[in-house]
Amino acid sequence: MQKQYRLLYDENLCIGCQACSIACRVENSVPDEVYRVQVHMQTMGIFPNLGMHYERLSCVMCENPPCVSVCPTNASFQSKDGLVHIDEKSCISCKYCILACPYHARFINPLKNVVEKCTFCYETRVSKELSPACVSICPTDALTFGDMRQSNSLVYQKSHKEVLLFPKAHLGTKPKVAFIPNRKGAKS
Amino acid sequence: MSPMWGSVEQYSTIHWSWAIAIYLFLAGLSSGSIIVALLVKWNRHERSNSSIWDAMIKAGSVVAPTAIFLGLLLLVVDLGRPLSFYWLLIRYNITSVMSLGVLFLLIYTPIVVVFMLLVFERSVIKHPFLAPLEGLINLVKSFHSYAKIIEYFLFAAALCVGSYTGFLLSVLYAIPLWNSPLLPILFLTSSLSSGVAVNILIGLLFFKSTINTESIKYLLVLDTRVILTELPLLGLFFIGLFYAGGDAPSAAKAALTEGFWAGIFWLGVIGVGLGLPLLTVIVALRSHVYRVGYIVINSMVVILGVLMLRYYIIYAGQIYLG
Repeated sequence: MQKQYRLLYDENLCIGCQACSIACRVENSVPDEVYRVQVHMQTMGIFPNLGMHYERLSCVMCENPPCVSVCPTNASFQSKDGLVHIDEKSCISCKYCILACPYHARFINPLKNVVEKCTFCYETRVSKELSPACVSICPTDALTFGDMRQSNSLVYQKSHKEVLLFPKAHLGTKPKVAFIPNRKGAKS
Repeated sequence: MSPMWGSVEQYSTIHWSWAIAIYLFLAGLSSGSIIVALLVKWNRHERSNSSIWDAMIKAGSVVAPTAIFLGLLLLVVDLGRPLSFYWLLIRYNITSVMSLGVLFLLIYTPIVVVFMLLVFERSVIKHPFLAPLEGLINLVKSFHSYAKIIEYFLFAAALCVGSYTGFLLSVLYAIPLWNSPLLPILFLTSSLSSGVAVNILIGLLFFKSTINTESIKYLLVLDTRVILTELPLLGLFFIGLFYAGGDAPSAAKAALTEGFWAGIFWLGVIGVGLGLPLLTVIVALRSHVYRVGYIVINSMVVILGVLMLRYYIIYAGQIYLG
């Protein structure tokens, strides 16, 4: 049966420890100086009324991915489950997809010289019914991953309870990554 | 010092650099020069001199294949994996403008090569090294009754090549400065301008014996009209961005006011590329005193301006994201 994956990132629970980034690097052998995922933090407000703003930067696995429609060799493709992957063999590294991505999720792997990005750890983990490395390592459970078609899954229940923010939703890309925005502290 | 989340360099890398800017320029130059050659052939032919081919047609027939081959070579070498370029030829994605460009170029490039062989038929046959091509030339000539149709087809293919480079950038909504429906027509217009300039330049330098001053006058008038179209197009381009919403207005403002690339725009694209040629027309060429020196300098200035427009769009687009 086809899946409808979703990854929730709860800004209220994130502490900015970057464990997700390290786990990703180890799991996917990401070379130094490039990142499949980063969590940026910004302190808002004026002391003593402060607040933290967090932002997860990675592929959001668009339902309408601009990187796939521009790829001249179909190396960038969407699987039956709606996940966006890259076929390294037929990637000519023209970088058109990197420029097309509004989330700046793609980069050149300097060792392999091909375009790379987050895959939700599909090959090594998700296809084996495991969570992506970043989700499983998160010490505060700020990340939730699962199938939205299963109403008993945590991701389904959390999605229906919380207010979700889909990054750059106005572009019509329909991301599979959603943010639960921060409720506490100064916002600007 | 990097922040604790590590290097952010990958988020501001220039992925398409000078090689792409020059390719866009060369593709435009190629299509522009063949369009201009065809316009001269159709509109000025009856007043031609001794040779059946006007110098402008000769120039276009040489420039078009040379520029496109150089451009394609640059494009392939610039790939992260140049040796994998063959994937572009065996797999197509019709929603990708790059793929469509490959298709246009596969049609366009052989026709401009054949066009060159026809124009230089006598030289080709004389040359022992190129003699085997005589068979091909005779084969093509046997279709001479369809010449006009093939020329129209070439004209259409050149329009596709000249404008696809604009569509290549304009479909990317992640980059506000490129995501404008005016970009293809702007590129096509400046391609035409560079085509006029390069044909006059090459014609004056290499094919002086078949120069027809009437054709040159015709082209200089055409170029003035093209430049007078390009200026308002550039205005509309930025006005469109200012009213586009999202990140576009701040990106457009930065691109016009901040840093090196704003300077390139005002001095290079507007000043040198469009202002100087207009000034030359008003001051030096108005009284129809067509001095060779002025015309040569004018042509080089126009070509430089078109090249700078491509550089500006490529770099400013990736730097000023709003």
